[in-house]
Amino acid sequence: MTSTAAAGVSAEGATRALVASVQDLSIHFKTKAGMVHAVDGVSFDIRDGETLGLVGETGCGKSVTARSFMRLVASPPGVYAGGKIDFWSSETRAAGGGPVNLLTIADDEMLDIRGNRIAMIFQDPGKALNPALSIGNQLAEVFYQHRSDELLEPLGPNAPVIIRRAANQESGKVERVLLKLPPLRSKAAKVREEVEDHVAAALAETQIPNPRKIMDRYPHELSGGMKQRVLIAQALACNPDLLIADEPTTALDVTIQARILNLIRELQQRRRTSVLYISHDLSLVREISDRVAVMYAGRIAEIGRTDDVFRQPLHPYTRSLMAAVPSSRNKRGELAAIEGTVPELIDPQPSCRFHTRCPYAAGVCGEVDPRFLRHDFDHGVACHIYDEPAELGIRPDELPSYERRTR
Amino acid sequence: MQIRDYLIRRLMVLPILLIGVSIIVFALTRVGGSPIGIYMSHEMTPEEVEELEDRYGLNDPLPVQYFAWAGGVLRGDLGWSGVAVAPVTQVFRGKLAATMELATAAGLVAVTLGITLGTFAGARRDRLPDHLTRVFSVSGSSMPDFWFAIVLLIVFWVYLGWFPVGRSDPAIWASIAHPTGLYTIDSLMAGSWQAFRDAIWHLVLPAITLGLATTAIITRMMRSSLVEELNEDYVDAARAKGLPERLVLKRHARRNALIPTMTVIGLSFGFLLQGTVVVEIIYQWPGLGRWLADAVLRGDQATIMAYVLFTSVLFLTVNLAVDIIYAYLDRRVVLGS
Amino acid sequence: MADVAQPRTVIPPATGALTVRLRRLGEVTVQTLRNPVTVIGLVIIVLMFAMALLAPVLTTPNEPNPYQMPRDWTALNEPPGTPGHPLGTTAHGGDVLYGVIWGSRTSLWLSLIVVAVTVTIGTVVGSLAGFIGGKVDEILMRVVDVFLAIPELIFALAIAAVLGPSFSNIILALAIVYWVKYARIIRGQIIHVKQNEYVDSARVIGDTKFRIYLKDVLPNSITPVMVQATMDMGAIVLVGATLSFIGLSEAGLAEWGVLVSEGQVGISTGRWWASTFPGLMIFLWALAFNLVGDGLRDVLDPRTESR
Repeated sequence: MTSTAAAGVSAEGATRALVASVQDLSIHFKTKAGMVHAVDGVSFDIRDGETLGLVGETGCGKSVTARSFMRLVASPPGVYAGGKIDFWSSETRAAGGGPVNLLTIADDEMLDIRGNRIAMIFQDPGKALNPALSIGNQLAEVFYQHRSDELLEPLGPNAPVIIRRAANQESGKVERVLLKLPPLRSKAAKVREEVEDHVAAALAETQIPNPRKIMDRYPHELSGGMKQRVLIAQALACNPDLLIADEPTTALDVTIQARILNLIRELQQRRRTSVLYISHDLSLVREISDRVAVMYAGRIAEIGRTDDVFRQPLHPYTRSLMAAVPSSRNKRGELAAIEGTVPELIDPQPSCRFHTRCPYAAGVCGEVDPRFLRHDFDHGVACHIYDEPAELGIRPDELPSYERRTR
Repeated sequence: MQIRDYLIRRLMVLPILLIGVSIIVFALTRVGGSPIGIYMSHEMTPEEVEELEDRYGLNDPLPVQYFAWAGGVLRGDLGWSGVAVAPVTQVFRGKLAATMELATAAGLVAVTLGITLGTFAGARRDRLPDHLTRVFSVSGSSMPDFWFAIVLLIVFWVYLGWFPVGRSDPAIWASIAHPTGLYTIDSLMAGSWQAFRDAIWHLVLPAITLGLATTAIITRMMRSSLVEELNEDYVDAARAKGLPERLVLKRHARRNALIPTMTVIGLSFGFLLQGTVVVEIIYQWPGLGRWLADAVLRGDQATIMAYVLFTSVLFLTVNLAVDIIYAYLDRRVVLGS
Repeated sequence: MADVAQPRTVIPPATGALTVRLRRLGEVTVQTLRNPVTVIGLVIIVLMFAMALLAPVLTTPNEPNPYQMPRDWTALNEPPGTPGHPLGTTAHGGDVLYGVIWGSRTSLWLSLIVVAVTVTIGTVVGSLAGFIGGKVDEILMRVVDVFLAIPELIFALAIAAVLGPSFSNIILALAIVYWVKYARIIRGQIIHVKQNEYVDSARVIGDTKFRIYLKDVLPNSITPVMVQATMDMGAIVLVGATLSFIGLSEAGLAEWGVLVSEGQVGISTGRWWASTFPGLMIFLWALAFNLVGDGLRDVLDPRTESR
């Protein structure tokens, strides 16, 4: 057993190119009580075309991690306290270029990536759509933002500047009036038709019946499942390299969950999109992911191929999760069945975050941050059970062990 | 369908409220004893007074009197204004335009400024512009408008001489026709730049004074509802599409924040109406408010009651209209309730 | 950010024993005082109250009625800084400083009486509506709606005009107009509490309606009523002064609105002081209570102002 950084684990084991690589990411939140270390040194890779499941309890930092890919963590109170997220877009890779760090690129570069190279599906489809805009208009925005060249194609190379500005959503009030007047109206209408074709095609891909009809509807007129299909269509509109799905089925009825899940899987396989799938539902993650990262209190506890992690969980936390997963007869798994509570993340001291709930915790667990250890090919864990006593400067019998329950 | 049900329900309440207001107004005319004083002169003998009371039905039971009075109101008979020495309805017609012009100007100032400031502050929450806007809006709603009017007069009329008082320069006023009674509109219809300038010049101070409190209220509401909307998921979803912040704010957050602000705009219309009284006194604006103030001081009950009825009907109607627009705009609310 | 368990500064609603409530009052006080803007408002209020209470000490009270402006017919239209008249005099020889100081006393009377009366009426009407429910509730709430349909100032103006010009009639008029919001608050709280489980459990234990009322409804209503009352302390002085300004008080009353009106005649000839100082006092009074009311609302009900 040798130790490496988490990123090393996956990079070595990688047979495929990377889409994204998170290294030592830390995101803190400023509160009156102190700095909340919501994400505290997280590292993992997402490989081309794979689905990485990120599991953990509510409040473990998984959503914040996901949002930081698009720099959507509200700041203030959020602070990007360290680390980086490297991202290889298909375009730069085709041109032989290197990665960009999503945390430091300029704002306009970020706008270019959002919704285009990286897209996101939100947890509650009822809240992620603007109630005051029609479905068609909301989807059209994506195409205007990222595909204005395609929209202008029917007008040939000499489209007037004012039309170009309209297609890029840059029109001012006066321009919007002018666009309704005769010489420009027919040209603007052509762009509009083109966008509607794009929107209809995107909706059709998610097996929405009658896309043209849906486009005129408002969110409150659609069912939850329908809304999530619309959001999936919106997310996949520009054929992104990475799709972030933040608990996309949690807010839906059980019967619809399976259908939405299948839809995501099917579209992903057809387009070879990489997916970061966030969930608190272990059995669901097992179904959909190629690899799994288990997160606890702002840190990655364990990461590995789905089969490996489920067949041989290494971290005590993962093990207790598995024990808590109900059998097929029971309801879908909730993770909260473990004794004890998640520790306070305000200005934490060095320690294993799980030691307050871990049945095997030893003294060292409350004093030293566990290193990330490579246990097996493509399977890593952050737990003192697997560490070397010499590295920690303690006697071998002071190390925690699965043979010794301490509570 | 839900929207229609909702509207029907709202419309059904309106007559009840109107009857209620009319009862209150009627009761007020009877609180100070028999309203015979309005019709009486000092030379009358008690017999003549008695006869007069009979003629006006003042010896009938109160409900009978109420229905007689309400019937008159419905026919447009609001009584006789002692102050203006003319039927109330006729005086109303003559003075309504001046007040409406003032209130509209103030309303436009308040809505534009309030929404702009509120958006500005809400988008910069907890930063300096937000704090300054908060100071402005709290000060604005604590400001006694009659005092603010006087301070503006001292500075801009007495010392700087930039703006006049009154509604117009009489010579310029006389130089054009007045088909609508709205000076700004009339001057534009007459094509007189001089008259238009005169109209605007006279409007500036009264409109600012009258609009201040309303601006403060709208600013506050706009700011807090924008802050609320900016916390919604759909705003992040809009950002996740790659929309620049400008569009996220304008097309997404602001559009939804305007919906609750609408209600406040409707409610603050009452503020505008009642503010005209004081503003018209100080700026010598020849409208309904000044007439009311005169009526109050001289005990002209018919005028006071007509004014109360008028403002309440207007206030209720505007709020109903706002509710209707609101119901159409905010599809969430109607379905929810 | 849905994933971050953010510590929120929400104080749970008051339930349970007296000690719990006292502790909560302490917390509220501490949190309110943490906001510097609220403290500014509080300081102004304290100064105003001190001025009102010390008025007989700060000035020589006018005989026989100290609430009537003393007239010095030898000193008309004196500018600020005149010996004996630090803030100047009006066109009728009224000392502006005297008016400013005794005006605070008038305003204190006005706001305290009106708030006390309106809170009482509102509590009674709101409780009747909330507890009896059904037809009574329906009728009372319609009455409330009708009262809300008439703009406040116009309503008070009409009542005061019908009653005849005097300061006590202004007080009466404002009392008739301003109880409505309290009735709504109390009724809302009762209906809310009625639906809550802990009242059900109290009923099972065998409490009478009245005891439930004392134990659960009133304590829960105190905070919104407190916020509204604080705001009204300012608003009532503002509206009362407006009515006085229009001319519905006795002439020569030591009241800020009356004084602004008295000073108004001089402004066209540049005598700004007689209106400016008393007007500033009205503004500061209303501002102070608005600031404190705002601060209280932020602490007691953080969600309405979305922090």
